Amino acid sequence: MADGENVAFLPYQFEPESDPEDAAEEPRELRPQQEVSERRMATPSKTPPGADPKQLERTGTVREIGSQAVWSLSSCKPGFGVDQLRDDNLETYWQSDGSQPHLVNIQFRRRTTVKMLCIYADYKSDESYTPSKISVRVGNNFHNLQEIRQLEMVEPSGWIHISLINQRTNEPISTFMIQIAVLANHQNGRDTHMRQIKVYTPVEESSIGKFPRCTTVDFMMYRTIR
Amino acid sequence: MVRHPLSFTLNKSQDKLLKTLLTARPADTVKEQKKRTDDRTRQTESPGGMTVLQEPVQAAVWQALNHYAYLDAVFLAERLYAEVRSEEALYLLATCYYRSGKPYKAYRLLKAHSCSTPQVRFLLAKCCVELSKLAEGEQVLIGGVLNKQKSQDDIITEFGDSASFTLSLLGHIYCKTDRVAKGAECFQRSSTLNPFLWSPFQNLCHLGEKPDPDQVFRLSSLQISSIALPPPSVSPAQNPSHRLDTALMETPQDTLELNRLNLESSNGKLTSDMSVSYIDSSLISPETGSLLGNTVSMASAGSLLAKQNKPKSGRSLLGGPAALSPLTPSFGILPLDPSPGDPTYLQNYSATMETQTTGPNKKSVSRISQSKSVFSQSGNSRDVLPIPFNQSQTSAPHTSGSPQVLSPSMSGPPNVQPRRSSRLFTSASSTAKENSKKLKMKFPTKIPNRKTKCKSTKTSNSSNLNESLDILRLDPGLSLPDTKIQHQRAAADSVMALLRELGRGYQALCSYNCKEAINILTSLPPQHYNTGWVLTHIGRAYFELAEYTQAERVFSEVRRIESFRVEGMEIYSTTLWHLQKDVALSALSKDLTDMDKNCPEAWCVAGNCFSLQREHDIAIKFFQRAIQVDPGFAYAYTLLGHEFVLTEELDRALACFRNAIRVNNRHYNAWYGLGMIYYKQEKFNLAEIHFKKALSINPQSSVLLCHIGVVQHALKKSDAALETLNRAIGIDPKNPLCKFHRASILFANDKYKAALQELEELKQIVPKESLVYFLIGKVYKKLGHTHLALMNFSWAMDLDPKGANNQIKEAIDKRYLPEDEAAEVDDSQDSSIMTDADDTQLHTAESDDVL
Repeated sequence: MADGENVAFLPYQFEPESDPEDAAEEPRELRPQQEVSERRMATPSKTPPGADPKQLERTGTVREIGSQAVWSLSSCKPGFGVDQLRDDNLETYWQSDGSQPHLVNIQFRRRTTVKMLCIYADYKSDESYTPSKISVRVGNNFHNLQEIRQLEMVEPSGWIHISLINQRTNEPISTFMIQIAVLANHQNGRDTHMRQIKVYTPVEESSIGKFPRCTTVDFMMYRTIR
Repeated sequence: MVRHPLSFTLNKSQDKLLKTLLTARPADTVKEQKKRTDDRTRQTESPGGMTVLQEPVQAAVWQALNHYAYLDAVFLAERLYAEVRSEEALYLLATCYYRSGKPYKAYRLLKAHSCSTPQVRFLLAKCCVELSKLAEGEQVLIGGVLNKQKSQDDIITEFGDSASFTLSLLGHIYCKTDRVAKGAECFQRSSTLNPFLWSPFQNLCHLGEKPDPDQVFRLSSLQISSIALPPPSVSPAQNPSHRLDTALMETPQDTLELNRLNLESSNGKLTSDMSVSYIDSSLISPETGSLLGNTVSMASAGSLLAKQNKPKSGRSLLGGPAALSPLTPSFGILPLDPSPGDPTYLQNYSATMETQTTGPNKKSVSRISQSKSVFSQSGNSRDVLPIPFNQSQTSAPHTSGSPQVLSPSMSGPPNVQPRRSSRLFTSASSTAKENSKKLKMKFPTKIPNRKTKCKSTKTSNSSNLNESLDILRLDPGLSLPDTKIQHQRAAADSVMALLRELGRGYQALCSYNCKEAINILTSLPPQHYNTGWVLTHIGRAYFELAEYTQAERVFSEVRRIESFRVEGMEIYSTTLWHLQKDVALSALSKDLTDMDKNCPEAWCVAGNCFSLQREHDIAIKFFQRAIQVDPGFAYAYTLLGHEFVLTEELDRALACFRNAIRVNNRHYNAWYGLGMIYYKQEKFNLAEIHFKKALSINPQSSVLLCHIGVVQHALKKSDAALETLNRAIGIDPKNPLCKFHRASILFANDKYKAALQELEELKQIVPKESLVYFLIGKVYKKLGHTHLALMNFSWAMDLDPKGANNQIKEAIDKRYLPEDEAAEVDDSQDSSIMTDADDTQLHTAESDDVL
């Protein structure tokens, strides 16, 4: 059982939610989750949803870069493929059509810094198609992928944030390729549904000099010429 | 009187033109004016056999053109061309195509035929430029490589009155093909030839030249004399006969309308006979006294109208300034000020201008009339003589006629008045108030006026009437005193004075002497100050000074008074972007994109709007659209480049900035963008070079200086960096970033006290900036005041409830803690203390520490 792993990963899963907009909510999400993972063996409780990644984007600290990548799937039902996975529409989804593990491959043209992944899953609609165990692997190509995260979800309904920040260096990972593998579904379902996947890179400072972002308009408007 | 060279070659079609002329009066293009000139000059020539056949058609075509009925105009012109196959008809057809917004049609049509006359070649060249066939356009204008190329003097002699426009076009071609020196020369010549032209001056400024407005906007003695001479020089003798024809030709329907109008309008006093007789009278002018009896009422009505107009116009000069903007050429006819510059003279004046030296543009006319208003404002006796009365009368038809014909090009308020006045006139036809004045009037003049009035209300070709008016006017004009001439001159001079002021302001702005530009433009008379053009440029100046709140204020004023204005709105949108006013920005974006989807400004605004929302992909699409609608719009490339920088596609960003520079190498924002990219790539030398290039264009920019300072610091030239930053602070003491960077450089150079002092000052300017407290904390940390450091750090955190905290936190963790490993215990305590203050945010950091 990967529960031990889960404990290790779950904090990371929610770390990116230090979404400033939701700063107030954060403790609520962090702490219960930790407790949850400890108690999981006894009474599995639902994985709470994370914040809407759009709000993160608005803060300007992260940027979606999925459009720069080449996406491929291990299998899909016709009409339920990458387009549906990337169309920004939570009503449509990717449905696999083959044997597990179901894979989503995200390949970048160049080494790319990735801070986190966001996956939308909805147990209410997808039931046995909802993934329950996901592995995230990174590498230069198909042949040297290494698993860096594995997480289990219980009846998720909403955004799941998967931080890709390296624990040791506290830096976002930098990679050519990301593979998301669905290892198991709820109720032992065979095929899986994923509604959206988003890939985020940290936004570099547009200000000159090695300083963090400034916060007031008074300051910021002198920051750059446009 | 100088005749247009064409006048002799074209004589067959002359007569048709004549009619055209008459109908075309209010129209506003070069060609038309030229045509009119031709007509004038050639009036005496005998009509050819074809004339009768063509003339009505041509007149109809011009009339259709003047009423924006392009489909009709094109159709008729095609018929005419099929029938006649003359170059004149060709030109007319091409003009129709061009004016209906289809330059490629005009181009292909003209291309397929030999073009000998200058007017046709000018049009062809114009089309070529429009279709970006620059080489071809150049060839059309000055001859191919194989032939001997024409010099500017040749052009001037060949194109005569339109030489200034030709040269301007040629200059445009030269600039586009990177022969800036030649282009500048052309613009210079062009503006000397016709000081009423603004665009050559503007282009010169854009090229980075510094034309002296005092030299440019100055009437040469020749031009002055042309102003002075005109009335007699129009050769009254020639006109009548010709006009006779036209009047005769025109009459049939017109008279009917007239009659109807008269009946409607004038209390039944005027009968259909009258209007007919009126025409006769205009033909036989002096003898028309017999009609007087009938016309008195009309005259008085006219005079009444004039009276009504006068005070109104006097007020409107102050009250309705929008119309006077130099960029809206057609307002000129409007200014209700009836008195000083008699429209007749105006026309004569412009006509002679055309024939003599300068280009006969609509512009010039409008300028002149504008000058009139300026002049009258200056109070130069409008009531001096009996003349004013006549003038006012003549102006009446103008005012009443112009709104209908010209209205699209005119702006609001002034427009309304003439209409009202004409209405007033029709209702109040018979008051005898003005008898005394009436006595002074000459009847013939009066009558035509009346007629024009009726007509113009009816929107029919008032130009015809105006023409006759002219002629009639001329007779009295022979006896007119010199004061008119002086008025003319004074009027022209006052326009020139205005243009000089505007020119000075514009040039200061173009050389980024923004404060001076603001001073000059602000001291303009209020009716000019409160126009979109002037305010936009003031806003631009504030923008360049990085005084965005001021800029926003001015621009919102522009939006208020000219909501239709798109020029400069991209600057406004960037201002709002800087100020992060997303609501105003998206409202602006919506309004502009709804209004005009074909202007790059609107799409730039939309792009900025989405950029502020951090939807960079959409912003990129909009900026690309801006480039698509106008590939010559440099700022769109720059904005696109910035967007690519934000999405970290630096290669594409580089390409964009280079494109912007290709389009306009004085676009310093693009040079800055290049420097910025090199800075990001840590190619500091290149960055410095590009920043300095930008600075050489805009030497007053404190933001640029600040960046240069930072780059110099990165290049380990700390002293130079401090010096640069001092300069920047000298230019703009309010720029907080300069102070911040100075403090950080001092900090890096271990001058903690100085840094601290700097930061304390900075705190006064931007008391809510968390970065300042962050840096203060770092300084205290270095100084060993741990608790002060912690206090400042926690302030920094508190002030940063939004997105940036991660970075500050990381900075504290990564840059600050590892620095002093000796104090590790302290640090962990620090961070735990801070965790208490803001535990959630620091939670991971703490755990990292532990790890």
